[in-house]
Amino acid sequence: MLVAMPPLDAMDLAVPRPWGVWVVEDDSHARAFFETSVRRSAQLRWLGGAGTVREALDWLRGDGVAPDVVLVDLGLPDGSGLEVIAAAVARYPQCEPLVISVFGDEDSVLASIEAGALGYIHKDAAPEDIAQTILEMKAGASPISPMIARRVLARYRLLQTASRPELAAPTAAVPPLSAGPAEKADAGRSLLSGREQEVLTLIARGFSYAEIARLQGLSVHTVQTHIKHLYGKLSVHSKNEAVFEAMRLGLLRHPGSD
Amino acid sequence: MGGRARLAALWLLWCCATIAPAAPAPQVLTLDSGSVTTTVNGQTRTAPLRLPYHWDHEQAAQPGSARFDLPFTLASRPDEPWAVFIPRVGNVFDLRVNGALLRVHGDMERGNGADYAKAPRSLIIPAQLLQPGENLIEIRVRADTGRRAGLSAVIVGPSDQVLRQYSRAYATRFTGSVLLVGFSVVVGAIALALWLTQLDARAAGGRTREGLYLWAALAEFCWALRVADGAIISPPLSWVPWGMLMTACYSGWAASAMLFCHHVAGWHRSAYMPWMRGAMALMFTGSVTCCWLSLTRADPRWLTGWLALELVGAGAYVVFFAVATVRRPNLARVLVGSAALLTVAVAFRDWLTIRLSDSHGETTWVRYTSVFFGIALLAIVIRRFRTASTQANELLGTLAARVADRERELATTYARLAEAGREQARTHERARILRDMHDGVGSHISAAIHQLQSGQASQAGLLRTLRDSLDQLKLSIDSIHLPAGDVGALLAALRYRLAPRLADSGVALEWAVEECPPVARLDAPAMRQLQFLLFETISNVLQHAGASVLRIEAGMHDGVQRLRAIDNGCGFDATRAPRALQQRAHAIGARLTLESRPGRTVVQLQFD
Repeated sequence: MLVAMPPLDAMDLAVPRPWGVWVVEDDSHARAFFETSVRRSAQLRWLGGAGTVREALDWLRGDGVAPDVVLVDLGLPDGSGLEVIAAAVARYPQCEPLVISVFGDEDSVLASIEAGALGYIHKDAAPEDIAQTILEMKAGASPISPMIARRVLARYRLLQTASRPELAAPTAAVPPLSAGPAEKADAGRSLLSGREQEVLTLIARGFSYAEIARLQGLSVHTVQTHIKHLYGKLSVHSKNEAVFEAMRLGLLRHPGSD
Repeated sequence: MGGRARLAALWLLWCCATIAPAAPAPQVLTLDSGSVTTTVNGQTRTAPLRLPYHWDHEQAAQPGSARFDLPFTLASRPDEPWAVFIPRVGNVFDLRVNGALLRVHGDMERGNGADYAKAPRSLIIPAQLLQPGENLIEIRVRADTGRRAGLSAVIVGPSDQVLRQYSRAYATRFTGSVLLVGFSVVVGAIALALWLTQLDARAAGGRTREGLYLWAALAEFCWALRVADGAIISPPLSWVPWGMLMTACYSGWAASAMLFCHHVAGWHRSAYMPWMRGAMALMFTGSVTCCWLSLTRADPRWLTGWLALELVGAGAYVVFFAVATVRRPNLARVLVGSAALLTVAVAFRDWLTIRLSDSHGETTWVRYTSVFFGIALLAIVIRRFRTASTQANELLGTLAARVADRERELATTYARLAEAGREQARTHERARILRDMHDGVGSHISAAIHQLQSGQASQAGLLRTLRDSLDQLKLSIDSIHLPAGDVGALLAALRYRLAPRLADSGVALEWAVEECPPVARLDAPAMRQLQFLLFETISNVLQHAGASVLRIEAGMHDGVQRLRAIDNGCGFDATRAPRALQQRAHAIGARLTLESRPGRTVVQLQFD
């Protein structure tokens, strides 16, 4: 991933440039809360905020400072925050969008991830947690709830089964940890790597990153990296999934069918 | 003028040629007079002869033998072979022409054997055997009792003419009999097959065979054997038992035909049916008995008389049947009634001709009228099958219409049920949301309002109440997607939601959740109850226990799913379990066990 590197500061090379944060949130109190949270962190820089999709798109068309992190509320008065996320990623590919979610519910979070978001942030989080979540994401972590992990596993299982009819046997949403070599080999050929699948399975069962790291003999950072890769795959595969479904329904011709 | 003379001469010649008599064609002679020498009971007599000679009438049915001398005169010896045609001669006979033996049929010394009188006979007379002037044909016969022995008039003449007459007579009597036998056997076989395979659905129980077909089959088989006798020269039995068998066939045919009529008329279901059966049995046994008497006592009057009685009875029955048919006609009755009337009339003619008159070359006609019974039966069968086919088609149509109606009803009912199901699902969902709002967010917001109104609430307390409210709301949203019975998913979601509070409280969490099979009894509402129960348990630990470690366990123990929340807090009076916990555990059918002492409190749920 291309990350906008902070410019070298001639005075102090050891201190990195703070990450620029831009917020799209229609609730002025919430926007103020995020502003306060960002400004309280020395590692973050408040770039500004927008209250509607239109304002956000106008801002993105301007020549302002490129944001490193974009916080976007989904329920905007004149449209969906997903539109803003897509426009932001298109305008500034290096920026990392985070969705502002009250409930962190599966439907809205998955839709956001597929639109290009790299995580989500709870609206009711404490100010220091807001900043912490942003910094952790910049450090390589992405949050994921057990409910979302289950949904992702179920969807990938379904895709895998549909593309390989011999695997059409019913499978649980969460595979057992004691997967045999054959199953691991299958998983290796699937859209998720075997390790990613194991990590997701443990998350779905409620284990924390630290516990997963201990169980799998990994570092916490590695676990977080797996999750972040997963986000990228979800975004890409959401598009692939659409193509696959279109082919299955006969709306598109397979490239090799001519 | 010369021309006219020539024309006149030609006309004269033509007239002469036309009028001039042709050479006299040889005439076919019918020999019906001569002399007969009979030997009966050891007494020989010679008498003048006038053919036909009906033995039973002439000799009172006594067995014996005779020699018939039939002279005839020829003007000249014929140039071509002649032939003799005898419509009826027998029972066994030999024939001589001018002393030369030309044919022997049967054993002249032994009676009651073969019967050559059943078919017309012919033979060729070589021309050299004949002579101008007197010629003599000599026929010797041996006659059995009651077997229509004797001699009919003898036809003699040029072979082509005589054999033509013979062929006609042979076709009528012999070939016709064989064809009739074939027809009767086929119709009888069809009727028997129908009797074996078709059941009368109208009868009580619906499993009775159709008597109509049985009597038709019996009639046809009896008649086939009776007619076949005309082609059997040497029967397998001697004459007396064979004659009784033939009489039995005749009467069996008549009785079966009448019972067939009875079934066609539908009278077989009446109370008089046993009488009818009895009458038919009497007719049958009576005729066989009379036949036996006739043959053994050499007195054909027994059988003739009985057959007259039979004829009267059958005639009365047929008249009765005909009257009933006129009153209530239908196709089957009309067909069978017509055949029966014709048959009785013809049988009367046969009785007169065969049993009473002196005619000897005649044959029965009733054999041909029996064909009408067969045709009537076939017509009845075809009509029944057509009716059954029509009824089956109508039934199929009715069934198809009923099925279509029922499918429409089912579709309507299904649609109503589906709508009711959707409405019920909406009602349940509304009830669930209302219950969640009441138990969770509603109660927490109420609590927050009370805290604010009392003026004694601390900011931390108020914040905790509001956070509880939001957490409940999140859990409520999570529960929408929770798979029914998946306790592992429920625990994982709960941990995720409570992680910030656990972190804030400083309580260390030990997570010992194993992979467990779904609990079948936990439907969506029960999952929500379990979620509340665990949430309250953990909240109590965080708020009141003062614990430093909270351990959550889940797994199978002795085949039972077990959940435990264990903390090392100050404990509480385990005998007074919080009422809300007990109610929720009871609602989901789980066994709640509390164990508490300072340093170890266990809240345990078991799904037995």
